[in-house]
Amino acid sequence: MNRQASIERLFDHYEHPRNHGHLDSAQVVQVGGQSDCGDRVVIYLRVAADGQTIDRVTFEGQGCTVSQSAASILTDMVIGEPLDRIALLDENGLIDILGRDAVGTRPRCATLALTTLKAAIASYQSSQRQHN
Amino acid sequence: MSDISSKGYAHPEALVDTAWVAEHLNDPNVRILESDEDILLYDQGHLPGAIKIDWVGDLNDSVVRDYLNRAQFEQLCAARGISNDTTVVFYGDKHNWWATYALWVFKLFGHRDARIMDGGRAKWVAEGRTMTREVPSYPHGTYSAPERDDASIRAFRDEVRQHIKANGTALVDVRSPQEYSGERTHMPEYPQEGTLRGGHIPTAANIPWAKAVREDSTFKPAAELQELYTGQQITPDKDVIAYCRIGERSSHTWFVLTYLLGYPQVRNYDGSWTEWGNAVGLPIEKTYKA
Repeated sequence: MNRQASIERLFDHYEHPRNHGHLDSAQVVQVGGQSDCGDRVVIYLRVAADGQTIDRVTFEGQGCTVSQSAASILTDMVIGEPLDRIALLDENGLIDILGRDAVGTRPRCATLALTTLKAAIASYQSSQRQHN
Repeated sequence: MSDISSKGYAHPEALVDTAWVAEHLNDPNVRILESDEDILLYDQGHLPGAIKIDWVGDLNDSVVRDYLNRAQFEQLCAARGISNDTTVVFYGDKHNWWATYALWVFKLFGHRDARIMDGGRAKWVAEGRTMTREVPSYPHGTYSAPERDDASIRAFRDEVRQHIKANGTALVDVRSPQEYSGERTHMPEYPQEGTLRGGHIPTAANIPWAKAVREDSTFKPAAELQELYTGQQITPDKDVIAYCRIGERSSHTWFVLTYLLGYPQVRNYDGSWTEWGNAVGLPIEKTYKA
C-alpha cells in the first residue's frame, strides 16, 4: 500500500472509527497516554469464555489522527484473535501495517493503542492467575 | 486597529492574524508553513499554498539528538522556495505549540522575518476559511544561513546547572503541575520515553505553557501575560530559561516572553526534563508525596 492509500485508510478510520465507544461488559478497562500533551486511548476488553481469545474490544479516546485511527484499525484486527498472538505483535509490525511512510515518524502515536491493549491483556491474565 | 495591535505586545510584528494571511496567500514574498503535532493534519487539508514543516522529519537530526545543521537548513529552506528575505509565517495545531517550535529553530539560524499566525489552524478552521489538499511546489529559493547559533536562545544542561546557582536568573517549567510535582514521570505504558526521576529543576516556577493562550488559541493580551509571568517572578530584568519535556512546549513560552512581552534574554532548554530527569547526580526537587 503506498503512502496515499495508507493515509486514505487512516482518514477513513479516523472519521468513521470502528469498535468505538464504551463496552459495559468489559472485564478490563485500560487507560493509555497522557492527556496533557498528546493522545489518550481507553481500551475496553472482553475475553471469550475460553479465556484465550478476544471476544470484544472497543476504544474511546482523543488525540491525533494517527493515534485514533490506529486504535480503530487495531481493534478491527484483533477481535477473535488469541491473546498470545497479540502479545507477539510488535510495534514495528503494527507500524508496517498502518503504513510506515505515513506514520513512521510518530511511533508513539501509532502504537499507543497496541501498548494499551497489551497492558489490558496483561491485566486480564494477572487477574485470572490470582483468581485461580 | 487590529486585534493584535491592540493587545500591547512588545513586538506585534511577530504575529499576524488570519485575515492578514488570507490576503497574502499568493504573495511571493511570503511562505506559509504548517507545523503540527498531528502529522496527518496537513494531508487532511491546509491553507492554500501552505507547506508542511515536520518537527521530526524536517527539523531534527535523524541520528543525534539535535537540530539540523547549517547545510541541512539551507537545503530545507531552498527546497520550499524560501530565501533569506522571505517572510515565513508558521501556524499549526495545539495552540501553535509546534509552530513556535519551528519558528524557534528558524531563529537558531537567524531567519530574519519569521511570524506566527495568531490562533493557528484552529482559528482559521473556525472562521470557515478555505482549506485545500493540494500540495504546492515553488521554485527553489536561495538561502545562505550562518552557522546555527546555540548561544543566544538555546540553553544546555551545564548552563542550566550554573543558572540555578546564579543571581538575577529565572527558570520556568512549563509542564503540567503533575509533571512539575513529580506525580507523573512519563506517559502510562511508555516508560521508554519517560524519565527515571520525577520532579522539577530546583528554583523553577511552574507556569504551564497553555496559560498564555485563550480558548480560541489566540495569545492573551500583554497585560494578562505580564501578570501571569511576573506574578511568579519571571521578570524581564532576569536571564530566563524555559524548559518542558523535550523543549517544544517551552518554545511556546520562549516566544511569548521574547516577542509578546519583549524580555531581552530568554533561552529554551531543549534537553529539558527528558535529559535532566535521566542524568546522574543532578539536583531535583520533588513536591509530590505518594
